[in-house]
Amino acid sequence: MSAKPVDRQDNAGDHDALPADFNLPRTRVSNVLDKFVRAIGRATAWLWVLLVLVIVLQVALRYLFNMGSIQLEELQWHIYAVGFILGLSYCLVEDRHVRVDVIAERLRPKTRAWIEMLGLTFLLLPFLTTILIQSVPYIWSSFIQSETSAAPGGLPYRWILKSFMFWGFLLLIIAALARFLRCTAFIFGLPRPIWPRD
Amino acid sequence: QDKVRWQMTMGFPSTLPALADTGPWVAEQLDKMSGGNIDLRVFEPGKLVKGTEVYDAVSSGKVDSGYVWAGYEIGKLPASALYGAVPFGMEPAQFAAWMLEKGGQEMMEEIYAPQNIVPLFCGTISPESAGWFTFPLESLDQVEGLKIRFAGLGGEILQKLGASVTLLPGSELFEALEKGVIDATEFSLPVVDEQLGFYKVAKFYHLPGWHQPSTNQYLYINKEKWDALDDQTQAMFRTACTAGVAKSIARAEGTQGAALQRLQEEHGVEAVEVPEEVLVELKKAANEVMAEYSAKDENFKRVYDSMTAFMAENAQWHRMGYLPRDWRANHPELYGDDAATTGN
Amino acid sequence: MEQFEIIVILLLLSFITLIFTGFPLAWVLGGVSFLFTVIAFALADWFNVDTYFLRSWDDFAVIVDRIYAQMSSWVLVALPMFIFMGLMLDRSGVAERLMKSFAKLFGGLRGGLAITVILIGVLLAASTGIVGASVVLLSMLALPIMLEKNYSKPLMTGVVASSGTLGILIPPSIMLVIMADQLSLPVGTLFMGAVFPGLLLGVCYVLYVVGVGLFNPSAAPAPAQHERITWADVWDTVLAVIPPFGLILAVLGTIFFGIATPTEASGIGAMGATLLAAANKRLNMDVIRQVARETSLTTAFIFGIFLGATAFALVMRSLGGDEFIGDLLKGLPFPDWGVVAFILFVAFISGFFLDWLEISLIILPLVAPVVEALGYDLAWFTVLFAVCLQTSFLTPPVGFSLFYLKGVAPPGIEIQHIYKGVIPFVLIQIFVLVMVFLFEDIVMWLPGQMY
Ligand code: NA
Ligand code: NA
Repeated sequence: MSAKPVDRQDNAGDHDALPADFNLPRTRVSNVLDKFVRAIGRATAWLWVLLVLVIVLQVALRYLFNMGSIQLEELQWHIYAVGFILGLSYCLVEDRHVRVDVIAERLRPKTRAWIEMLGLTFLLLPFLTTILIQSVPYIWSSFIQSETSAAPGGLPYRWILKSFMFWGFLLLIIAALARFLRCTAFIFGLPRPIWPRD
Repeated sequence: QDKVRWQMTMGFPSTLPALADTGPWVAEQLDKMSGGNIDLRVFEPGKLVKGTEVYDAVSSGKVDSGYVWAGYEIGKLPASALYGAVPFGMEPAQFAAWMLEKGGQEMMEEIYAPQNIVPLFCGTISPESAGWFTFPLESLDQVEGLKIRFAGLGGEILQKLGASVTLLPGSELFEALEKGVIDATEFSLPVVDEQLGFYKVAKFYHLPGWHQPSTNQYLYINKEKWDALDDQTQAMFRTACTAGVAKSIARAEGTQGAALQRLQEEHGVEAVEVPEEVLVELKKAANEVMAEYSAKDENFKRVYDSMTAFMAENAQWHRMGYLPRDWRANHPELYGDDAATTGN
Repeated sequence: MEQFEIIVILLLLSFITLIFTGFPLAWVLGGVSFLFTVIAFALADWFNVDTYFLRSWDDFAVIVDRIYAQMSSWVLVALPMFIFMGLMLDRSGVAERLMKSFAKLFGGLRGGLAITVILIGVLLAASTGIVGASVVLLSMLALPIMLEKNYSKPLMTGVVASSGTLGILIPPSIMLVIMADQLSLPVGTLFMGAVFPGLLLGVCYVLYVVGVGLFNPSAAPAPAQHERITWADVWDTVLAVIPPFGLILAVLGTIFFGIATPTEASGIGAMGATLLAAANKRLNMDVIRQVARETSLTTAFIFGIFLGATAFALVMRSLGGDEFIGDLLKGLPFPDWGVVAFILFVAFISGFFLDWLEISLIILPLVAPVVEALGYDLAWFTVLFAVCLQTSFLTPPVGFSLFYLKGVAPPGIEIQHIYKGVIPFVLIQIFVLVMVFLFEDIVMWLPGQMY
């Protein structure tokens, strides 16, 4: 597994530095895409703070005032759902998805870039695209049936929550494409690679 | 005769007696009567999709069929709630009568057709209990602020009386009840509740099941796949499901008495009758909730009106045709009963 | 063997091969599932091969419903919240203070610093559960002092790595939350069930360190002279212990006293850790921002694997893989307990290459029904399985704790010190695993007290 400590602290202060892991160069287009995905990822990270507050509020209302709120209960997993589904692409941009690199770390950088490019082409992108396409009728059916929560007094407009599946996977595809460009930049020099200055 | 191999995804785990085990039983009957040509493979909840998602999955054709309670789709198809269970509604035999003899089945197929589902009425069971409480409910003012887990229309009705309704996931229910996070929870039939062990965490078992006098199961089949079947195969499906209705009525009614006794005698549970003043207020609130849904949804109104019309027609017969409910309890001497066994 | 069962074997082999390319695990899982769906369609359409329930796009499209099922799981809300709590605690300064006062109190004993590390490891484990954070924290706090006091390098790295790993088992534990979600078991029962096995591990670690002190004194030296311990030092230690106990109370206490469910307790814990950071004057907007972002990234890498695993499980299942593997296990020429032991052995070996998350998501759901069918208590088995997976953090080549440790270890500590150091602790894990296997009550007693 990549030996990155979970609490790496280097990505908070510096807003422009994009990662250059195992020596993949950046490109102009991938920079734009990466920054876009990362900006959304960073904004949605605040959802976790909101989630803490909602849970504390919910417990306090019930324990202190015997007031239960199904809407607050549902809001908890709505926030969590949006948070993790949008976080996936942020995680990809920061290259924090877990790898088994026992063998891979002994390979030449170019070989690793080839593996990365082939993996993106034949494993990740088809998988993401399939889900993106399949999510459309799923969300649409929720929309045209004006789906609401099945819970008594639950939250309405369930399609909005479901549509985050689409946005989440769209962002994932964007992040994967950016990474794909960085691979081709390294392997073929196309688009023009930008190497980070040390 | 067609060869059919379909997924049948379950709304509840097939280990739950009466509530869910009719599904695999129906599959077995179909296998036998077709000489092995109809093969319904049981997938437990979550193996393909969650119980609450069976409607969607069958509707979109991702799963061939599912054995499920109607009502999870209330958020999309409000009328489904009436097919699942109606507060102060019909008892199992009455519900079967309305479905099979009074047009309930046909109306349901019409309503579900645009959703690409053929729903076959495939099981109905005895009343579910009004819930496990950590204290006996003795008066109306205890309902206000009562922390109770209660799904569906019943939950909405309780909210009108000021209860604090929650929908904790099943995996947290026990601890929440045991530790007093909530005061009460509704679940299922005595025999199911016994198997799940609710008596370990709450000792006051409330009856009657005002919110679910009958609970009804269906075999949802994707309409395109159904339409492709020949008449003979379709007939076998319908017959097996009607047999499933009979089987589930028998199985549910056959096991509750003993289960209720075991709960009291072996597990120290106290059976509590919900006070009449509470039932009266619940019925008033139920009327409001039904009126609200009827005003919002045309199909809901149509189904509810048909149900209430049949119940009105059947009412006098239902009351006078049978011995009074408390006949035996009022005359234990005639049966050589001691009061305990009849619940007085 | 059925035709679809051959495809299942190919699917498993492809997965095992492809993870070693170094492509992210989550996407290997998802991608392989996609590829085999396409292969299954092609075989079914062109060669009339029986592919069981993988015959059209619709059969794969269920993936969308399954992703939504993850989105709508209230129980899993606890996951990001426990992560938030752990990251916040990490920055709250609580552990530094503990280390300082404990080291003063126990530093004079032979092996005292190693025991201090274990005690703090247990306290951190009971108040949070992010292994990476715990190992990094313990390494940074303890390794420099232990180096200075001439502890043997294998001993100190072994102690730090294994004590830091306790958090994944001792509740609150995100691993147990995920297992509860997978198997529909009550989270609280698993939490309570894991308490004694976790403490037993801690006790065994301490006994081991004491043993080393007795039989190999040079590995765990006692300082020639040590400052006298004053009452002020004792009082200091008491003060340092209060915050982590407060947090334990905020999480396990709110569950125990019926204020919140385990899921809600995670949010209370996150708030508690934040208040601790504020009390220690460590809280500012920048810390909150860092913790929130890091929560997103950690949660996302877990859910990436969730997504891949749900696709993989779907394709496996649609190809009849569940029954196939279940039948294989049931057909083993072992007695019932032998089957369980075999499953644990497989999990242990898998732990060398995979980590707890993949094993919980891929192997556990396959084997749990078999164990249940043999009549074993699923909660007991799950805790056993959890102890087994905790070990996977310590076993090379793929051992998270070892990597975290190496990542922050001071110069002079080499990977071979770490490998050598964890061997006795892996043996202790196996010993405790056997104990829990033989004495079911170690797990079942505490949850039994609850009901
Ligand atoms: Na922990
Ligand atoms: Na390992």
